[in-house]
Amino acid sequence: MDNQGQVTENNANQSDVQLNGEISQKIEYLTTLQTAIADKHDLKAYELLDTTRFGKLIKKTRTSTRPTGLEKLVDDLHPELSHYLSHHLIDYLGKTYPFFYYDEYKLGEFQIYFGNWWNRRQFGTLDVLNIAFKFDEDEFDKLKTGFELETENKRYNSSRIEEISASNTDLQKLIDDQTNRDQRKEQLRAQLKENGQKSTLPWDSGKVKDERQVIIDQLSTLADEDEAALDANNTIKENDEQILALSKEDTIINYEMQSIKKTFEDFSRFNQRNQSLYTDYLNSLVGEARVNADD
Amino acid sequence: MINENDPSTLSTSGRLLAYNDAIKSGLETGEKFTKLMDQLVQTTDPELLLQAADALSVYSLNSDYVTFPHQYSFADFYLIFVSRMWELHGEGDAITLESSEYQEQLNQQITVLDDSGTFNFSNTGSDDSGVYYQERASGQSLFYLNLQKKMLRFNSHAFTQLFIIQYADKVEKSDILKAVQVFINLGNYLKKDFGFSVDFNMLDTDNSEVYEFQNEHLSESIVDKLFVSAAHEGYMLENSATGTGAMLHLKDDLVVQVYNKGSQSDPDWVLSVHDKLQQVSWFKLLIDYDFLKAWYLNDLAELEIKSDPLVFA
Repeated sequence: MDNQGQVTENNANQSDVQLNGEISQKIEYLTTLQTAIADKHDLKAYELLDTTRFGKLIKKTRTSTRPTGLEKLVDDLHPELSHYLSHHLIDYLGKTYPFFYYDEYKLGEFQIYFGNWWNRRQFGTLDVLNIAFKFDEDEFDKLKTGFELETENKRYNSSRIEEISASNTDLQKLIDDQTNRDQRKEQLRAQLKENGQKSTLPWDSGKVKDERQVIIDQLSTLADEDEAALDANNTIKENDEQILALSKEDTIINYEMQSIKKTFEDFSRFNQRNQSLYTDYLNSLVGEARVNADD
Repeated sequence: MINENDPSTLSTSGRLLAYNDAIKSGLETGEKFTKLMDQLVQTTDPELLLQAADALSVYSLNSDYVTFPHQYSFADFYLIFVSRMWELHGEGDAITLESSEYQEQLNQQITVLDDSGTFNFSNTGSDDSGVYYQERASGQSLFYLNLQKKMLRFNSHAFTQLFIIQYADKVEKSDILKAVQVFINLGNYLKKDFGFSVDFNMLDTDNSEVYEFQNEHLSESIVDKLFVSAAHEGYMLENSATGTGAMLHLKDDLVVQVYNKGSQSDPDWVLSVHDKLQQVSWFKLLIDYDFLKAWYLNDLAELEIKSDPLVFA
C-alpha cells in the first residue's frame, strides 16, 4: 500500500518536474524571441518562428529539427510580428524587387502593387512571416501569358483589339454608306411603282410578282442596314471604350514585363527567385550578421 | 418774368449768348478731346498713356450743338492703347496698326502671323466697361480688357481654337509661340506698369498655376487615355506622389500633373506644369507635344481649361 502511494507521489513529482521544464521552455522561447526583437535580430526571430524550415533551409542540418510547437505561443501576435519584421524585409525587397510597392492595409498585412504607373495592378499579398509573395492568380497568369505572347510579337489583348477595331471599321462603313443606301432605296421605290403599273395580263402576272418580291426583299435588307447604322454610333463608342480598357491592360502588362526583364532578365529567373525568396533573404541576413560581427 | 434757365423766357440777345455758350462748351469738349488724342498717340509716359486711353474710352465727343462727323469708336482707342504699350516696351515691330482709308476704323495684325489674323476690340454689349480683343474672321475673343477695373483676362477657348487648331497647318510652331508671347508680354507690361490683375490662364508659366478643367469631375477614362497615348510615345504616366492623380515626366525638370485636388466624394481635377525655369505653360506643351495636343482636343469639352466665368460665360 505504502509503496503504491510512493509511486503515485513519484509520478506526481515527475509530472511537476516536467511541467516546470515545459514552462521554462516556453519562457525561454518567449525570452529569446523578445531579446531577438529587442536586438533587431530578425534572423533569430525567423528561426524561432519556424524552427523546422529554418533548420532545413538555412542551418542545413542533416536531421530534421523536431517541431516543438512553441511557435504556437505567438500565434495571436502574428499581425504585430509581421508588422515588425516587414521593415527590414521590405528594405531588402526594395533593392531586389525594385518594381514592387507595398501597402499595409491592415496591421501586418501587405498588398503588393506592381509598379508606380497609373493604373498599376494590385498584384497579390506579401506573407512577411513566411517570406513569400502570394500573387493574385489571375494577374499573374496575365503576366505569364504576356511573356508567352511576346515571342509571337503579340500583346495580351492584340487579337481582341484587332477584332474590335475591324468591327468598328465595318460599322463606320455602314454609317458612311447612308447616302448610297438612300439613293438605292429611292431607285427601288421607283421600280416598285413601275412594277405596280405593269400589265396584269395573266401570262405575265407570275413574272411581275417575282420581280416585285425581289424589290421588296432588297428594300427590307436596306432598312435593316439603316437600323444597324443608327445603332452603330453607340456601338462604336462602346467598342472604343473596350479598346481603351484593353490597350490600358496591354500597356500595364508591358510595363510589368519590362520591369521584370530589367531586374531578372527573363520570366523564368523571376520565378526561380520567387521560389528561393526565403533562403535568399535569410542568407542575406546571415551575411549582414557576419559583417556586423566583423565590425 | 425772366428765367435764365428757360430759353423761352430769354430776350433775343440772351438766347444768342446761350447758343454761343453751348457751342463754346461743345468746342471745348472737342479741344479737350484733341489733347487727349495727342496724349494717347504721342506720350512716352505709360501712366499718361493709360490716363488718355481711360478718358477716351468713355468720352462723349458730340454735344447738342456741336457734333463731329468723323469719329473713331471706343474700341479703336483701346487698340491704340495696346499698340502703344507694345511700342513703349520696344515691341512696336511685333504688331501693325492699320487704319482704313475710307473710314475711321483701326485693325491690328500680329507681324509674325502675316495675314492669318486681323484683330480689333469689340464692346461687351452690356453695361460692362470692358472690351474683348477679337480675331475678326473667327470672332474668337483672345482676351478681355478693362481699363477702369485694371483687369486683363485671357481666354483659353479662343487660344485653343485659334492657335492650337486653326493655325496649326498654316503657321510654324515657333511663330505661333512668338505670336502668343506678344500677348503674354502685354499682360506683363500692364501688370508691372499699372498693377493690373492679369489672368494668363493656359498661358501661365508659373509653377504654382493650377489649371482648372471645364469638368472638375474628370472621368478616369480620360486619364487612362493619356496613360495609353503617353506609353506609345515612350513616356510613363505615373501615380502622383501624393493624393489621387497622375504625373508625366516629359524631360528633366518638366513634369505635368493631372490630379484631384478635391476629395473622392467632391472631386476637383486640375492640371499643373512644373519646370525649373518656370518658362513652360500648358499652352506651350500643347504646341510642343503632339500627343498631349491630341489628348486635349479629343476630349476638349471636358478638358478645356476654364477661363474667368465672369467675363467668358
